[in-house]
Amino acid sequence: MSLRNRIAFYYTVTSAFLIAIVFTILYFMVQSIVYKQFDEEINSEVSEIFSDAHVTSKDFTSFSRFKNFIDDKEVNYRETKHEEKGTAKVDTEFIQLVDNNGLVINKSANLARNFLAFIPAQTKTIYINSSINNSMIRQGQLPLLNKKGIIKGYIIVAVPLKNAVIVLHDLQNVFLFSFPGITLTLFIVTRLIAGKSIAPIKKVIATAEKMTQTNLSQRIELPHHHDELYRLSATINALLDRMQDAFQREKQFTADASHELKTPLAVVKGTLEVLVRKPREKEQYEYKIQFCLLELNRMARLIDQLLMLARYESNKMNPHIEAVWLRSLLETVTVRLHPIALDKEIGFKINGIEKAAVTADPAMLEMILENILSNAIKYSPDGSAITITVEQKMRTLICSISDQGIGIPEEKLHAVFERFYRVDESRNSSTGGFGLGLSIVKRLADLQKIKVGVTSAKNQGTTFALTFPAT
Amino acid sequence: MRLLIIEDEAGIAGFLKDGLEEEYFAVDIAFDGKNGLDLAMTNDYDLIIIDWMIPAISGIEVCRQIRKSGSLIPIMFLTAKDTLEDVLFGLEAGANDYIKKPFAFEELLARIRVQLRNKNQSDDSLSAGTLNINPGTHQVFCDSIEITLTPKEFALLEYLVRNKDKVCTRSRIIEHVWDIHFDSDTSVIDVYITFLRRKLENAGCGNLIQTIRGVGYIIRES
Repeated sequence: MSLRNRIAFYYTVTSAFLIAIVFTILYFMVQSIVYKQFDEEINSEVSEIFSDAHVTSKDFTSFSRFKNFIDDKEVNYRETKHEEKGTAKVDTEFIQLVDNNGLVINKSANLARNFLAFIPAQTKTIYINSSINNSMIRQGQLPLLNKKGIIKGYIIVAVPLKNAVIVLHDLQNVFLFSFPGITLTLFIVTRLIAGKSIAPIKKVIATAEKMTQTNLSQRIELPHHHDELYRLSATINALLDRMQDAFQREKQFTADASHELKTPLAVVKGTLEVLVRKPREKEQYEYKIQFCLLELNRMARLIDQLLMLARYESNKMNPHIEAVWLRSLLETVTVRLHPIALDKEIGFKINGIEKAAVTADPAMLEMILENILSNAIKYSPDGSAITITVEQKMRTLICSISDQGIGIPEEKLHAVFERFYRVDESRNSSTGGFGLGLSIVKRLADLQKIKVGVTSAKNQGTTFALTFPAT
Repeated sequence: MRLLIIEDEAGIAGFLKDGLEEEYFAVDIAFDGKNGLDLAMTNDYDLIIIDWMIPAISGIEVCRQIRKSGSLIPIMFLTAKDTLEDVLFGLEAGANDYIKKPFAFEELLARIRVQLRNKNQSDDSLSAGTLNINPGTHQVFCDSIEITLTPKEFALLEYLVRNKDKVCTRSRIIEHVWDIHFDSDTSVIDVYITFLRRKLENAGCGNLIQTIRGVGYIIRES
């Protein structure tokens, strides 16, 4: 069942239930009002009889006291019947006297051969519907008590229900027949309204269906009203933005990786192909093979870094966090990088807290420091200094590494941690990097909950700050 | 035949130049798009090979600019971009061929020769009268006698035969047979023509190369 039909169905069922209750209450209210009037009429008739017979219902002595009165009634009846011939309908009552066993003592003549229904063993006045000659009547049955309070008999007074029955019957019919009509109309109308209100959802579905992996540029049109549907559409759009972004980055990564891998491959393959086309001098073979080896080494480095990145990104690496003396780790790394730094006459300066312990995976932290420091060396001018500062701020330790290099333009700072991103867009290999070092740093830092920040000023230098988690 | 290679990767540019020069092509190299476009616009090349991802101006843009100038010169993309969309995009930008890295050098060579064929040429072989040239093997035959030529002599003869029945001026010959490092002293052509004529005469193809006084040279079919 579609959402639209379901909404309409539930709404209609609920409404139909309420309408049914209202109709029933209404019907019984009308019925009770109508009967009440008849009952009052019966009551007044009874009191009239009592007053005519000079008795009350509580001092019954003998049925004979009513006799005259009933005969009177009979006379009245005949007179009126006579008078009313051909004119309006006769408004008449039926009277019947019974003893407490239900034996009829006396009855008004208009009853002819009929009897009014008797319900035995009633101590109170009761009102019931019954019929005489197929016409509905309302009758009241009043117990007659003697002075001792013992029921000696009953007086039953009945009045014809006439139009009242027709009215009630009609009312019932109106209710019964209108109910399915109202329910059906309600269903149709609700379905229409529901359909109209969920129309934007159909738009969402249509847009989503058009979407494929390669075509993520479609967006859902936002509705005018800032309602739930608007939020749904906006949320889906935002999700799509993120997906497209991730997809784009993945595509870029694949393109970059394949470019970086294929270029050295093409160089080696092409160089060797050209080399073997003709016989050559020994020196030329040696020179070309050396050249190819350099290219292959570069390729091997790239593959190593890619694999490392893949391992870290798949989160299969669990860091072995322990307390690490930052200073000694820094010294290990700087000593290892010393030969490269010496080539450019770059010196390291380590300032700040001597005995600083941080919680980290020592091997990972070493790789982070080595990557950042070798980057710093790469982009520093000859003879400059690289400053490493360890300081405590609040409860966290910060290790910052500053160079005096070319700096990174403000607008490119945010991208330096992206895979294969190189500030120098020409991607030429003169600086030797692939643009993976800082992505690896970022991944490793994330694994150990170390924050990596970068600030830079053009031609003044770049500072990387590692903020360690509070111990 | 003179080629321009626009390629930022020195390793690739290097072996391309080596390999193609061995095949008697004159090769110029540009390491970025801007330089490449300048060279393409100023010199009369026979074919241009462009890498897509190059600094300054992208290979695609270089290709578009060349086509915009009205040039119909054969352009080949040589790139690591290997998706179908990339290939289509490159060809739509006006390239004649698209080769994905890594590639086989022999294939590149064969594709270059395809691009250099004349419209009415069914294969790579060239001929003028009884003279036959095979650019693939660098063999020259006069009737059935093979003539041995130096690379420059071969390139000069190939150029003249490719442009047979057309007058080839000295400056055009310089442009198509020598690369950019050659200083434009055209008298060197006359020296090579003399060598060529002597070798052809020995093989029996005497008067093939004719001098158009003050202009250049021509090889006629008949």
